[in-house]
Amino acid sequence: MLTETELRRLRRQEFWSHLLAYPTYAFIVLLARLKFRYRFQDLRRSREEVWSKLETHDGPVLWAANHLTMIDSFLLFWAVVPWRRVAGSRWLPWSTPEFRNYHRTGGWLKGPALRTLMYLCRAIPFLREGDDAVATRWRDAAFQKCVRILREGGSVFVYPEAGRSRSGWLDPNRPKDFLGRLALAAPGAKFLCLYFRGEHQAFATVAPRRREVFRLYADVVEAVEPGETTPRSVSERLFQVLGRLQERWFAGSALPKNCGGNDVVDLASPLHRERIDPETGEADPEWLERHLTEKERAYLEGQPPALRYAVFWKLFAAKEAAHKALAQGGVSTPIGAFPMLEVDLFRRKVVHRPTCTEVQVAFTDDDGEKVHCVAVLRGGSVGDEGTPGDVIWRVEKVPDGEAPGEFARGMLLDLIAESADDIPSPAVLALTEVDGIPRVLRGGRVRDWGVSLSHSGRFAACSFMIS
Amino acid sequence: MAFKRKETVIEATDLATITAEEAEKRIIAGVRKYATQEANWSRADANTPFLGHIIGMGIESSNLADITMSIERQFLTRRTRRVPVSPDGSEVRLDEGELGKLRILDGQDALAATPGLAVKMLMDLGHMAPDPAYLGKVVSFAYISVIGEGWKLNEALRKAMGRLEKLSGPEREEALANLRALTAQAKSYEALIADAAALAGQRRKSYEEEKAAHEALESELSMATAKLAGAAGGNDSARIASLRSEEAEIRTRLKMSAAKLRVSAEIASQAGNRSAAEAAKVAEIRGLLQETVRLAESC
Repeated sequence: MLTETELRRLRRQEFWSHLLAYPTYAFIVLLARLKFRYRFQDLRRSREEVWSKLETHDGPVLWAANHLTMIDSFLLFWAVVPWRRVAGSRWLPWSTPEFRNYHRTGGWLKGPALRTLMYLCRAIPFLREGDDAVATRWRDAAFQKCVRILREGGSVFVYPEAGRSRSGWLDPNRPKDFLGRLALAAPGAKFLCLYFRGEHQAFATVAPRRREVFRLYADVVEAVEPGETTPRSVSERLFQVLGRLQERWFAGSALPKNCGGNDVVDLASPLHRERIDPETGEADPEWLERHLTEKERAYLEGQPPALRYAVFWKLFAAKEAAHKALAQGGVSTPIGAFPMLEVDLFRRKVVHRPTCTEVQVAFTDDDGEKVHCVAVLRGGSVGDEGTPGDVIWRVEKVPDGEAPGEFARGMLLDLIAESADDIPSPAVLALTEVDGIPRVLRGGRVRDWGVSLSHSGRFAACSFMIS
Repeated sequence: MAFKRKETVIEATDLATITAEEAEKRIIAGVRKYATQEANWSRADANTPFLGHIIGMGIESSNLADITMSIERQFLTRRTRRVPVSPDGSEVRLDEGELGKLRILDGQDALAATPGLAVKMLMDLGHMAPDPAYLGKVVSFAYISVIGEGWKLNEALRKAMGRLEKLSGPEREEALANLRALTAQAKSYEALIADAAALAGQRRKSYEEEKAAHEALESELSMATAKLAGAAGGNDSARIASLRSEEAEIRTRLKMSAAKLRVSAEIASQAGNRSAAEAAKVAEIRGLLQETVRLAESC
């Protein structure tokens, strides 16, 4: 329950934010348009899409959007709310930004200015870290405030992913429960689902680049459908709606949607045993330093000696596969800059350190003869033990006398043709490269199938994903 | 026991006592065991890429670090004195000192894609005296990529033509559509590389993308610094320590991003300055593409 003081403060914030809504709105729009030169494509269409559905609804609204930059809330406020609707207090959403991100940021001028802006933008400070009583009470109070606002017919803005997406992809199969809880606590609410992104926004950043052009897709759906009794069931549906909006966004974008990679390593290749001993795990430290980050070297050191050889090549394959997936998504890594990628084998992810972009990885073959890794940046899921992913792959031995690269290319076209009912034979496909990235052609069109090729010693491998 | 390298012992040579051509020969010989494309390796020159199978030596990415380490193993230099250039000593510069083992620092080999570019790297880093006559025949990294792409496109076009011969009916129609698309891609690529300014413009675009990413990271750093400034006023030492480590992490990322940006900047600037050696290579690949396109159009 909220205390009297908390309620009074909430009322006061509502009063001031409503009273100063026009200057606050004007400040945000002018800053975005004139200083950063941001622009929304087809803004009128996006607003019509939203308001045609919202106008007839007189209950509470839960805004749910994907999250890529730290100023997304401001941009969405500008994009969704037209000037003439700023006066309607119940349409102005409350949000729950992380308190530590802004409350003590900046010096004597910037600090108070930022806090005032956040106050007027109806921020309910939220504390995501900490399990102590104070942090738990803080989160509970924020949740109660949101519920209260919704029950009074207001609007609350929540990022269902709980933070900026480090892969740049909203994974519809990984719902989080917060929004579901909120929806169940506010009967009669509707979800305003929003997917928006700049045309150059390949990964999460603090702010979009200057002169960025955004596109927004929206849908309004019931917050709770009949039969939905748990937060998870509500969130699952919501994530599917957002996933569909994401598909719409990528269908109109120059950014490729399916970004996957693979890499195979022949563990028996004599060249791979030169600087690391398969039995003792002893390795040339200079050579390790050229491949692994400090954290990875510590991890390798912690492995039993007999496993270090295989673990090193797993780390290597994960880096190479991730590098290919990242390159498809427009995130480059210079040739040989292996320490720019950091692998976490336990969490099955690779981080591109200059951008903090994360790639999910999975090992499909790890049998003492070879290691094969597949990676997904966006477009689908890499899968796990219980759930198959969206990547289709094949690893084979290269027949004697065949060029491994050539064999891998033929194998890829065969695999695609075998996997799709509407492709009569591999002959109707062709391979090319666009900006150094392999692409498949069908019917004269370059397809967004996230293809990847690899070979090492006796083995060749390929992968692709269509989602 | 320290790991013992299972490799032939090579007597290292002082880089100051040999010519660029000699260094190039040694570099080529040093990577022989990693080259899976023996035919290309055996006729390799300054401009033969280490990677790639069509015109390259076929070295696999798992042996990339071995190329640099093979170069380090073969040469001695006087630039051995490590001078810290960052306050925490994590970044160093190599200055003149005692004659000792050549050390190529992290990121310095990012553009050494051919033996000639490896020699150029040694000259740029001050390990060898610059030799303008030699450098005149070395094709830049930007053009090595351009030429490599051209060869790959030519190969793709030839394969598509080869497949077409065996097909009939609707399958042939589909394959023909692919061939037409590849032909259009080859023609537009040929036109692009014909015009050095257009090529430079395209590479400049990639550089601008990198620059935008770098600027985004700079703004992340300024935000972390602002948070730190705000927290410094309070007494939450754990928060200050966490923000300091966040700031240090962003600085490391910024350093890596700067290294990436340098590579893009170099490529963008090289693409606009076409040397005689590069012009000859471009003319060769253009001729090849024109011929293949002519054949493809007659299918």
